[in-house]
Amino acid sequence: MRLEPTMKQAVIRRTTRKYAEERLSAAAMEMDSTARFPQEIAREMAGLHYFGLEIPAEYGGAGLDSVSCAIVIEELSRVCAAMGLCVSVHNSVATYPVYEFGSEEQRRQFLVPLATGRHIGTFCLTEPNAGSDASSLETIAVKDGDSYILNGNKVFVTNGGASGINLIFAISELSEKKKRYSVFIVESDREGLEKGPVEDLMGMRGNPVCPIVLHDCRVPASNLLGEEGKGLKIALSSLSGGRIGIAAQSLGIGQGALDTSLKYSKERYQFGKPIGRFGAIQNMLADMATEIEAARLLIHRACAMRDKGVAHTKESAMAKLFASEMAVRATRLGVQIHGGYGYSKAYPIERYYRDAKVCEIYEGTSEIQRLVIARELFS
Amino acid sequence: MNIAVCIKQVPDTHTIRIDEKRMTIVREGGDNVINALDCVALEAALDLKARRGGSITVLTMGPPQSEEALREALGYGADTAILLSDPAFAGADTLATSHVLARAISRLEPFPDLILCGKQTSDSDTGHVGPQIAEELDLPQVCGVDEIHLEENALVVKRLSDGLVETFRLSLPALLTVSNALCAPRRPSFGDLEAAFSMGSVRTWRLDDLGLNPDEVGASGSATWVVKLRSAPPKARGEIVSGPTQDLVDRLIKKLEALSVIDEESRSQ
Repeated sequence: MRLEPTMKQAVIRRTTRKYAEERLSAAAMEMDSTARFPQEIAREMAGLHYFGLEIPAEYGGAGLDSVSCAIVIEELSRVCAAMGLCVSVHNSVATYPVYEFGSEEQRRQFLVPLATGRHIGTFCLTEPNAGSDASSLETIAVKDGDSYILNGNKVFVTNGGASGINLIFAISELSEKKKRYSVFIVESDREGLEKGPVEDLMGMRGNPVCPIVLHDCRVPASNLLGEEGKGLKIALSSLSGGRIGIAAQSLGIGQGALDTSLKYSKERYQFGKPIGRFGAIQNMLADMATEIEAARLLIHRACAMRDKGVAHTKESAMAKLFASEMAVRATRLGVQIHGGYGYSKAYPIERYYRDAKVCEIYEGTSEIQRLVIARELFS
Repeated sequence: MNIAVCIKQVPDTHTIRIDEKRMTIVREGGDNVINALDCVALEAALDLKARRGGSITVLTMGPPQSEEALREALGYGADTAILLSDPAFAGADTLATSHVLARAISRLEPFPDLILCGKQTSDSDTGHVGPQIAEELDLPQVCGVDEIHLEENALVVKRLSDGLVETFRLSLPALLTVSNALCAPRRPSFGDLEAAFSMGSVRTWRLDDLGLNPDEVGASGSATWVVKLRSAPPKARGEIVSGPTQDLVDRLIKKLEALSVIDEESRSQ
C-alpha cells in the first residue's frame, strides 16, 4: 500500500476541492437553513461524473479506483457534508450494487441513468421497527405472475426526496423456518410508491431524507436485482462499500473542522496574542490533526483492499467506526476553539458539529461496527 | 487548426515557500497546479478546436513531476502532451526557457497554426516567455489578448491596454498570450481525468532530442539570474484619521516628515 497519493489522486483532490469551494461553500449554508436540496448544482455535478465515480465509462461513469472515490467524498464533505452524503450513498449503495449484481439489461436500463446522474438513487433498508436489527424488517414482496407486489414502509431514506431510482430491500420468502430477502429496483414514478415529507433533522439538513411507502406496488420481475432470495448477500456487499463512503464523509467533516479552527486560531486575539499560541488550543488542534491522519490511513487501507478484491469487512468497519467518532470529537473541539462564536450560526463550525453526529449512527451504528470487528477477530 | 499551448506547473499560491539561500521557489512537497492563465490559454484552444477542428498539443518545460500538469491538461481535452525535461534545463531564466520551448515547437509535425500561452505565470510574473518564443520563431504576436475571432486564414484579436481597446489582425501562424478576461476555464470531468492518467507514457524530449547544446539551456543559457529572493514583509495596517481639516493637514505633514517622505524645503513649498 503506497502512502503518498498518486499524481491522479492529487489532481482529483484538487479538482474536487476547487469545485466544492467555488460551488458548494455558499450553498452549504443555504441548504442547512432552508433544508432544500440544490437540484441545479446536482445537475452540474452529474455532468462532471460525481454520480458515477466507480462505474466504468461504458456505462456512463468515471471508472475511478476506491481511493480516488474516497478522496472525492472527503473533499465534498469538507465543505458540504449534506452533498457529500448524497454522493456517497448514491454511488456506494444505490449505483454500485446495480453494476455488481445487475444483468446487462438492468445495467442499460438502470445503471446508466444512475451513473450519469439523470436519476439519483437510494437504498431502502431501514424501517420503523428495523434499524440495527435489519432482520426485523417487514416489507414483503409477493410473486404474482411475472411481477412482484411490494408492501411496506421504509424510513430515513437518504436522498429519498430527490431520487428517481430506489433499491428496496424486502422479504421475498417467508416460511416457518426461514426468511429470504431480495432487492428490487423500483422507480420513484411507479404506481404504488409514495414519498413522505422530508425529515426535519439535527444535521445533514440539505439532504432530502424521507420515508418511502410501498402500497400494492407492482414491480416487473425484470426489476429483481440479482437472484431471488440473495438479497442479504447484496446488502452486505453494498454496506462494506457504504461504510468506506461514510468514513470518507466523516474524514471530510473532521478536516473541514480542523481547517476552519486553525484559521480562527490565527485570527482571534485574546490576552494580546492569537489564541493559537496558547498550549490549550495547540493541544486540541494537534489531537484533531493526528486523528484525521489516522482516519485517512484506515480509509485508504480499506480502499486498497477493496480494489485488490480482498475481503475487507473488518477494515471498512474499523475505518467507519474510527472516522465517525473522530468527526464528532474534532467538531466538538472545533466549536470549543471558536468559543462563543462557535455556538453561533454565523460561523460554519456549529453546522459541522451537528452534521457529524449522524455519522456514528447511519450505515451501521458504532455499536454494530464494534460487533462486526469483534466477530472478525474471533473468526 | 493545429494549436500548441505552452503550460507551466507552478506552486499553488496558498502553499508557496521560498528558499532564500538558493534563491528559488520551493517546488517539492507543496501543491503544484497548472498556471491559471495557462488554463485560460488551453480553454481558448479547446474553443477554437470545437469551432475549426484540428488538434491541441500541450508542452511544458520542467522536472519530471510536471507530467502531472500535462496529464491534467489532457483531462481538460488536449490531444497530445510533450514534456521537455532534462537536468541541463534546470536554473533556466525566461530566455533559456523560451529557447527550449521554441525549439520543441519548431519540431512539431505539422508546425502549429497558432501558439497560445498565458500572459504571465503566478510564480515569476515576468510575461517574457510568450514574446520570446514568438521572436525566436519569427511569428507575429499579440500579448494579453481578451478576445479572439477567427477569419479564413487570419485572426482578429482585441486587448485592453492603457484604457484603450486595441484590435489586431494577424496572419497565421502566430502566437498569442492571453489574459483572464478571454474566457473561463472549464471543469474537467472525472472520466476525462481517469482516461488522461490511464493512457500510455507521456512523450518526453531531452536535450539531445531537441538538438540543443548544454550552453544554450538552463543556467548556462540564461542571460539573467536572480540575485535576491525574499518574502515581502506584510503590509503595515494603515492609520485612519478624522477630525477638522486643518488638524488633519497638520497631522499628515508631521507624519510625512517623520517618514522622510517630505522635508523642510518641500513643506514650505
